Formats: sequence, C-alpha cells, structure tokens
Amino acid sequence: MNFKCPVCKKEWNSSLQVARHMFGTGDKPHKAWVDEQGKTQGFTFIDLMIEQATTPGNKSYVMLAEVIEKAQDKL
Amino acid sequence: MNKYTVINPHSEFKVINTHIHNIDGMAKVTGRATYTFDVKLPNMLYGKILRSPHAHAKILKIDYSRAMELPGVIGVVTGKEDTLGIKQGIWRRYQDLCDEQVLPVDKVRYIGEPVAAVAAITEEIAEKALDYIDVDYEVLPGVFEPLDAIKKEAPEIHEGFERNINVTRHIEWGDVEEAFEEAEYIREDWFKCGGQAHMCMETRAAVSSYTPDGKLTIYHSNQSPYYMQGLMAGVLGMREGDIRVISTYVGGGFGGKFELDGAIFCSAVLSKKLFRPVKIVFTREEDFIATKRRTPMFYYVRTGVKKDGTFCAREAKVFTNGGAYTGMGATALYLTGFFHSFPYRWKGYRYDGYRVYTNTLPSTSMRGFGAPQAMFCSEQQIEWIAADLGLDPIDMRRKNSHHEGYEVPGQATIASCGIDQCYDEIRKWIKDKGKLPANRAIGISACGFMSGGIFNWFDTPYSFSSAVVTINQDGTVELFVGAQEIGQGSNTTLAIICAEALGVRVEDIKVHSGDTDYCPPDLGAWGSRQTLMAGNAVKMAAEDAKKQLLEFAYAQSGYNIVYDMDIKDRWVHAIARPERGYDFGELVKKAIRGKDGQKIVGRGYYTPHRKGMISPAYSYMLQGVEVEVDEETGKIKLVDSMTAHDCGQPINHLGLIGQLEGAFSMAAGYGYLEYMPYEDGKLMNPNLVDYKMIRATEMPPANIAEIDTYEPEGPYGAKEAGEGLTNPTAAAIGNALFHRFGIQMKENPIRPEMILNALKEKKEKEQGKKGKK
Ligand SMILES: [Zn+2]
Repeated sequence: MNFKCPVCKKEWNSSLQVARHMFGTGDKPHKAWVDEQGKTQGFTFIDLMIEQATTPGNKSYVMLAEVIEKAQDKL
Repeated sequence: MNKYTVINPHSEFKVINTHIHNIDGMAKVTGRATYTFDVKLPNMLYGKILRSPHAHAKILKIDYSRAMELPGVIGVVTGKEDTLGIKQGIWRRYQDLCDEQVLPVDKVRYIGEPVAAVAAITEEIAEKALDYIDVDYEVLPGVFEPLDAIKKEAPEIHEGFERNINVTRHIEWGDVEEAFEEAEYIREDWFKCGGQAHMCMETRAAVSSYTPDGKLTIYHSNQSPYYMQGLMAGVLGMREGDIRVISTYVGGGFGGKFELDGAIFCSAVLSKKLFRPVKIVFTREEDFIATKRRTPMFYYVRTGVKKDGTFCAREAKVFTNGGAYTGMGATALYLTGFFHSFPYRWKGYRYDGYRVYTNTLPSTSMRGFGAPQAMFCSEQQIEWIAADLGLDPIDMRRKNSHHEGYEVPGQATIASCGIDQCYDEIRKWIKDKGKLPANRAIGISACGFMSGGIFNWFDTPYSFSSAVVTINQDGTVELFVGAQEIGQGSNTTLAIICAEALGVRVEDIKVHSGDTDYCPPDLGAWGSRQTLMAGNAVKMAAEDAKKQLLEFAYAQSGYNIVYDMDIKDRWVHAIARPERGYDFGELVKKAIRGKDGQKIVGRGYYTPHRKGMISPAYSYMLQGVEVEVDEETGKIKLVDSMTAHDCGQPINHLGLIGQLEGAFSMAAGYGYLEYMPYEDGKLMNPNLVDYKMIRATEMPPANIAEIDTYEPEGPYGAKEAGEGLTNPTAAAIGNALFHRFGIQMKENPIRPEMILNALKEKKEKEQGKKGKK
C-alpha cells in the first residue's frame, strides 16, 4: 500500500520514505505537523532530527514512520 | 622525473589530445593579460572594506562623519543606508537558503564580515579612513563548533533556524538494516576533517562602473560571470541585461569564486552612489578571513562487510561546520554523502548530513566539492577493515568497485568506468618499487568524481551551457562561450573541440569568454562542468556551422549525399577520396557569398536531461603515495606518487597533466599541511607564512597513467579531469602511515604532533599490554 505525506500528500510505498521526506523537506508546514503530533507524545521535529543525527541506526525515522502510518486513515 | 603513460589511446583525431599549449599562454607569460587587478578606468576611486572584529554582534549604529572629513575620501556606504538589504544566495529556487546580506543591515555573524565600505582617491586614504568609522556593537555570545551549535542552550545565529541547523540532506538505498544484518564484520569510526583556503593566486577583486544611464559594468575575478550578473541584478534591483560582467582573465577560483563577494558588492554599491568607477582588491589576509573556505566536517562512518571482503552496508552521519552563511555549502553537504558511497557497490547505503551554522567564516564549495572529506574517511576505514580481516586492501576494493553499466540506485548511471585498469597500474607501480627503506611506506586510495552537476538551484531558464561559432571570410573562427576560463585551460580545451569538429586548426579559433554582453549564458566553472557540458555545446555549435558549410561544398562538388564530404585540417574533401578537395577558406568565401553575404553562424547548447541525480558522467582514479616519516619530529615527506586516472577521451594532453598535478598538490596540502586553526572564531594564521601550502620543493614526482575510456555522454568521449583527483590523496597519506606504524589518523590535516601523539599512544598501549603479561 501507498503512504501519503500528511502535509503535501505526496505518496511512497513505505512509511519510512515518507518520514525521510518530512525530515528532508523540513519546511514550516512539515515541521509544524510533526511538532503537533509530538505534543501528546513528547517529541519535537528538531528533537527527532538531533536524535537521528547523534545516534547510530534509524530510531527517529522509524518512530515518525509509525506516527505517519497511524495518521493515514485521517488523510 | 615525472612519468606519463597512456593506456588504450584513441587516435582518430587531428587536433584532440595532440601537443597544444594553452592558447592564452603568450598573453599571460608576457604580462599582457588584463586581470581585474590591472583594470584602470578614468576617474577611478579605490575602495576598502571595514570588517567586524566580533564573531557575533548586533550593529547598533555606524557613524562615518569623521571618515568623510579626511581629505581624499569621497564616500562611505553601509548596509542600512545604501543597500536594499536583500538576502542573497545562489539558491534562487530555495529562498530560505538565501541568507546573506553582503553588507549586513543589523547583525554580523563572523569575524571579518563587511560592515561598511569607503571610496577614496587612493587606496591608502581609503584604508586610513576605516579607522575613522565608529561602529557601536552589542556583542552577542558566539558558537564555533557544529556539535556545540546544535545544543539547546546555544545562541541563535539566524532567526528561525532551530538549533542552528541550516540544511539537512539524506540519501538512502536498499534495505540498510537488512544489509547490515548480512554483514559478518562491522566497523564504526568518527573522523574530523579540516577546512582549507582556496588560495587563488589572484585575490578577490572588482572594478565597478555605474553610469547615469542606469548601466553597470563590472570587471570581476569569478568562476561564473552569468551568476554574478544575475545575483547582482537581484541585490541591486536592476535588470540582468543592464549589468555587464567582464572576467576575461581570472587567476584561479577552486570553488571559492562563484558567489557574490565583498569586492563586487561593495564596489558596485559605492559606484552607484558616487557615479564613479570604484576598484576593490582584497589583500591576502582579507582573502583568508573574509571569503569562504572548504567545509570542515565531522564524520561518523559505520560499515558492514562479509568476511571475504564483500561490501554489504554503510551508514554515514555528517555534521558540517557551515559557518555564518549557506553559500554553496548545501551542495557540498549532499555531494559528500553521495561520494562517500563511491566508487563501490553497496547493497544498503544511508547518509544523513546536517549543515550547522556557526559564528565562523562561511564554508562552501572547494575543488572536490565535499568528496575530499568523504574519501579521507571512507578510504582509510576501508584500509583498516581489510587489515582487521587480513585481506589485501587492493583486492578488496577491486572486488566491490563500480563497473561500466552499474547504476547507483536512484542516483547515477555509470556509462564508462576504467577503474579496473587503474588498479592494474597502481599494482604495477607498487611492485616495481620493490622493498622500501624502513622509514617509508606506500598508501593508496580510490575515488570517482562527477563531470558537471545536474543542479539548477539558480533557476535559470537558459541552457546549462551554450556556444556560438561564427566563421569569418578568411577562414578564422570566433567561438563565443559562457564557460569561464579561470586558469584551468578551458578556453584551450574548447578551442580544441571546436577545431576538431569544424576541421580547422587551433590557431584558427579565437575564443571569446568571460563577458556577459557578448557570450551566451553558462552556469560557469564549477563541479567539473566545462569539458563535458560546455564541450558538448561547442561541438554542437561547430557541427552546426560545418553542416552549413558542407551544404555549399556538396552543391559545388556534385556529390549526391551530403555526408560523403568532410573537412579535416582545413581541407574540404570527399571522404572516400581525401586527395580530392580544396581549401577551407575558399569554401567559406563561397558559402558567405551564397548566403547573401551573411556570416556562417553555428549554435550549440547542452542541458543534461534524465541523467540521474548528480551528473551525466563519472571519472575514476587511484592515487598512490610513497611517504617518508621522521619519527623524531613527526614530519612527513612525500617521496613519490602515482596517479592512475580515467577521464574518458583526453582532449588536451598538456592541460590534463597540468590539472592532475595541480589537483594532487592541492590534495596533498589538504592531507598534511594546510591547517586553519580558530580561536573564538578568529583564524590564527591568515597569511602565506603561517598557512602552509605545499611548495614546489615539497612536491614529489607526479607519475601519471592515463587510462583512456570512452564516455558516451561526453564530447568525443571526454569526461572530468583535475577536480576529482583532489579527493583521494589525504587518505592515501593516512594509509601510508597506517602501513608504516599501524596508527590510524582520524583527523586532517595530519600534522606532525598528531603523528607523534599517535606513536606515543601506541607505544604506551604496547607497554601496558607487556606490563599486564
Ligand atoms: Zn510532504
């Protein structure tokens, strides 16, 4: 199945790709969406990015991918 | 003695790759070439720039009334009073990244940033006047290292850039986690790569002349007159066509001269205000502290391989010290991640790059464009992995290398690749050396590089390269190109391509470049664009002109198929019977008469379409160095070197050697000499005595084996030469030290004290082990 970017509605076949796209784009609307989700779950866009940058592996992206997956129904 | 050998030469050419000296050599060696420094205009003033002594400060007030009282001072400009305050950058397509006001309006972000500029009747008076300008600053806390700048409590350098993160870049293919799981051995390392000054022989310089009719002419030392024209139009609120940029002779660029600099901007603003020509030439110190530099980088590299040396996965995270403004640094951030995968096949590859603002000199593109940093880390770690697994490092590299037809997933297609033969040549060189003296060792490193970037951040509607060929009635040829000669020999290369395509000699061609009023637009001399991109445009323009000529030759000869005829070496002839023919000049005269007296004009243009993310073609190379080490002082000396290089079809034999030797010397400097130490944002060695460049006496022999392949996308099969070779040498030096002592150099330039410390540490470890026994 395809996953949509909750902001610009571009599609990829993996939610991880959408997460990567959101970090890569990093413009105000994409940032705002991530920050909004983080309000209840205790993260911000920049926290996730720094976490991704300073630790090995792909934890932040995987975490955001899960959030994106959950949000698909509402898009 | 240098040795030069050619493997697989192609020989069907009349002009290409023959022994041709630079066409502008005579003008240069006789001192007749007019560089910006030599330009003098009637009524000209001299400008000087006042620079910030603070790394981070608000500009509260600038009072220049005392300076204006100094006899000979004609005018002063400031960001607030005399500019539109427009934030500029090459990223016209991405306005967020246009973050620099060359004369800032309210805040300075690095030591040396322009604050005001003075014009006076002499340079000395202008310089003196700087002392009489009073600036009130509110000094702000500064931050100088990227890993400090991303901390929560770090000062904010640009508004709205949280944690000072300027740009991020991501590259990924394959299932990286799965590929790591397949690996039987994983190694992780952190590296620190230093900055490097471009060190052009001609420092930044500009002469601007604004006339009351609203036209601006600028003589300027740069790598892309078209960029300068467009950028200046943007910051001055003018139309591009009202600005003429002239850069006929340029004394080097190396990636540092295709952004607006203080010289061009301040001279233009002064000239607009005063209606007189204004000249600004940077001193060497200004060139060090107030232009941009090679990007310093922190590199985390994790690599997974199988026990037999098969590469599985690689992950890299990079923090670059971006300095105060973006410049070309965002592209360097992407390319370092891309070339970090080169020249190998990875099942899974992931790169995350973070460019971080700091209160230091902005960092940008420089010869190699991010790849020298990438190769320093990659090629050393590969050597260490081979040692860890007890494998031959050359065999291991070779087994995983790119090859013709390989696709870097989603990024690039490799249409020509001679790296296999490069390995053969390097092997031969090592074998011929035999046993080395005890204080010497050999290190090698591999690399691949692009032939011009497929990037249009400038958002140009024009072709990336274009050329116009006109033929005079006497058989001489005018070649108009936007490609910029900066000393690398591009005018000669393009003249050779034009002569070959048209069937004349190089001395028949007059190249016109570096003048936006007469030359068609071209994105300029960066990313190894010129031979492939401008070369394709020139070939097309020359072939267009030739086709028009042959129409007349065909009509006159009575042959019934136009392609039965050709022109070679000024001889118009039937291909099947080359002895039957006549002179090129005769044909030209007839053709002009036949066209009702109109000159023959050929047009060519080139923009790569559907050629991947990065570049239409890639060069490949291997660098070997023989290094001698003094264990007492830690000093290293390069004793010998060997380059095995694939640039497709070489166009200019002499130019090629010059480019490769030049790249090697710059790369060696980056590897072990050229050091830029900062203290609280202040560069500690901004002069030629303390900043150590490699000198002629320190250059080892530069032996070159040229492996000629054929690149389908290049003109006559040509691709990049001379930038890519800046990439592998630092790692090769590190690898030589590893082989000599078993020490691992994770920082460059590799300075004597680092070698001594590593040796000491190693000794202590060994003694510790003995003690435990
Ligand atoms: Zn999106």
